[in-house]
Amino acid sequence: MPRRKFIGYLGCPPRIKMESVGRKHPYDEFIDLDVDMNAPPSGLVPDAYCQIVTNVVDNAVHLKKDLRLIIASVGEDKCDGGRFAALILRDLGFPIVEVRNTETEPQPVMISTSRLPLLEKVNRIMDTVRTPRKKAFRQVKPTHGFWGVPPHDLSLLERFPNTTHVYGWIRCVEAEVPADLELERFVDAGIPTVFYAQTFCQKNVLARYLAEKYDGLYIDCDGPLTNSVIAKVEAFIRMG
Amino acid sequence: MLIADCGSSWSKIRNLDDGVTAILPTQQVLRDESLRFDIATGHLGRDRTDRYENELIALARGSLKLIEDDDFTVVDIGSRDTKYVSFHGRKLRKLDWNQKCGASTGFTLELLAQYYGIDFEMLAVADKPIPVTCGIFAIEGIFEAIIKGGPAETALAAFVHGIALNVYNFAQRPKALFVSGGLCANRCFLDSLYRYCEVIPLGRNVLLEGLTE
Repeated sequence: MPRRKFIGYLGCPPRIKMESVGRKHPYDEFIDLDVDMNAPPSGLVPDAYCQIVTNVVDNAVHLKKDLRLIIASVGEDKCDGGRFAALILRDLGFPIVEVRNTETEPQPVMISTSRLPLLEKVNRIMDTVRTPRKKAFRQVKPTHGFWGVPPHDLSLLERFPNTTHVYGWIRCVEAEVPADLELERFVDAGIPTVFYAQTFCQKNVLARYLAEKYDGLYIDCDGPLTNSVIAKVEAFIRMG
Repeated sequence: MLIADCGSSWSKIRNLDDGVTAILPTQQVLRDESLRFDIATGHLGRDRTDRYENELIALARGSLKLIEDDDFTVVDIGSRDTKYVSFHGRKLRKLDWNQKCGASTGFTLELLAQYYGIDFEMLAVADKPIPVTCGIFAIEGIFEAIIKGGPAETALAAFVHGIALNVYNFAQRPKALFVSGGLCANRCFLDSLYRYCEVIPLGRNVLLEGLTE
């Protein structure tokens, strides 16, 4: 049996690519390089930079000898930061498979609108990138909304009630159309929604614009949650 | 029953039994380890109470108690940060809390006034503001103006004007702005802000008001 390794990925690669790589390396395990794994700083990324892309580079360098290859989303479904990270990692000798997820046919969403706790919703949705959803979930009417990407500090999501619906890029991931800007812009008007973007991410401009348009709360956060971000979210949920 | 708003520099403490409010340096409050509060808000109040309220909620509730308008915006300027709440039909519409850009301006102001011995009551409003990205950048701008030969008073007045403009922009440029916090006692600041909108000072106890029904 070959040595078991990790197959790293960033963003939301096309399902067909994930499945073909999975078939080729059946004993390997997929690992999401976007997520904070407490990897030591690689020193390759500027201090003032998107924490998610920083995670990608730091995680890859930290796991280097255990990584079989990296499936790197480098298209509109991810960002320039992902493209540059893939370029740097290739230059450092990592085997990189560049992909662009151009799916345009949205699949029905069920986790985004379920009554699971928000953190679990987001984790389950991000898990669907490697394992398609098979279960059905009870649906709930939204009292609040969370728009955006999975935050670096996921504890932010614990502040929301279970009746929070998911919008933005995370919803696009569940619908398997991560580059669908129309779906990414969609929210239910009238539902108090928090628009989140990772500090230094280009999505901040969209988050801020949509928050203004829908009378929501725009927040950005870099590393760990700050007192002011927690206070803003709490106040918005309790008094909004 | 003691309630408190423990800010970074100053703590506002009210005894609900006699209604007396004291304003003390927070460092002094922190030195007295036996002092605890029934309800508290503010950065440094969290460890001194079993009933902590977040500052934005205290500001929002206090504002609703003190202001009768249906639509209004209140900004609270502290030593370390600035926050605002905006109501439409007495329902919360917008809020924000700035701890990054524009942070530490109140603290910087106090520091510079002490250093140069300047009384803000007597300071004339400057025509042009110094850009106030944050306290540190602002100090650089002030020192630069003084090195070029300008009087400290003029540089500091321009800094105060810069803070006022920052606050106005941060609060989404309202027609009228209710002001909470220590800068309500700063004549130069209020006059600078008045160049942009109607200004209604509420004093330093708005957050305290928000801690009780």
